[in-house]
Amino acid sequence: MTDHRKQFWLGVRDLLPLVSGVLPFGLIAGATGVSLGMTPEMVMGMTVLFFAGSAQLAAYSLIQDNAPFIIIMITAVVVNLRFAIYSATFAPLLGPLKKRYRLPLAYMLSDQVYGLCSMPEQQQKSDSERLWYLTGVAVSMALSWILSVVLGIALGASIPSHWSLEFTIPLAFLAMLVTTISNRQLFMVALISGSCAIGFQLLPYNTGFIVAVVAGVSAGLLIPGLWQKWSDRKGGDSRG
Amino acid sequence: MDNLTLWMLFFAVGLGTFLVRLSFIQLHGSTEALIQRSKNVLMLLPPAILAALCIPAIVFSRPVTEYQVDPVQLLAAAVTILIAKFSRSVFWPVVGGMLCLWLLRILSS
Repeated sequence: MTDHRKQFWLGVRDLLPLVSGVLPFGLIAGATGVSLGMTPEMVMGMTVLFFAGSAQLAAYSLIQDNAPFIIIMITAVVVNLRFAIYSATFAPLLGPLKKRYRLPLAYMLSDQVYGLCSMPEQQQKSDSERLWYLTGVAVSMALSWILSVVLGIALGASIPSHWSLEFTIPLAFLAMLVTTISNRQLFMVALISGSCAIGFQLLPYNTGFIVAVVAGVSAGLLIPGLWQKWSDRKGGDSRG
Repeated sequence: MDNLTLWMLFFAVGLGTFLVRLSFIQLHGSTEALIQRSKNVLMLLPPAILAALCIPAIVFSRPVTEYQVDPVQLLAAAVTILIAKFSRSVFWPVVGGMLCLWLLRILSS
């Protein structure tokens, strides 16, 4: 029992340094919601229901653009598709649990939980130790996220609009984009998707966004093949 | 969008997000093949989505459909990219970009 408690607090301790990244993000999420004219209850409801900062910011910018319901819904869920990878990662650990533990822990999965709990040193622990560690990380992450948003709501009304704080959203996505791009293929995907997003800006109901994402992903799937074919042919030419 | 619609939206997205999170955990045991097959697409989605979300909002000033290029925003974005290259976080690049934006706005007004 004491060992379980130790793992739980180890998880809490490891999350603490990450709060410096969670806090400003939560502040932005809270303050932006208020600046869009939502009541504090609505922003909090949205925060608890989404429990996903990037999807929340994506939804804000689409709500601001008066995008239709279905587009906002699809976009927000698509932004969260990365959670499917986390779900797959922790399936062996969380899958066998009783429902009352499985569902809340699944709800609390996040980038931070994934990052900390998939470290090599965690893999060496026993399953129950990993589970308690994950619980510690997930619970403290949830608390720090929700408290950051509350703080953002409290400060939000006192921030003047000519500071254009809403520009922090595309900047935050840009920063995330830069950290996501780890090779040339992913760079091409971003380049094509970004250009298409500009090119198809005038399509109605924000469909340009979906077109851009599909174009980017298809290009990413096709380009390595084309590249291969091209270098094969070049190789053939030099032989002949 | 009125408040009721917004609440419906929040519940719909909340449910969708939860189902994504639960997906493989719930289906544990019968999904190995599916994960392998969709891995490629799942890996390419984040850059595609993030780029489509932020590029138009950075290049053009609001409303983006008027295609008004804003050089101040572009410079702020360049600062953000530079810092993000080194810091690998989200916080400092945003702070740097916003400081650049405010500084240039003050200088140009």
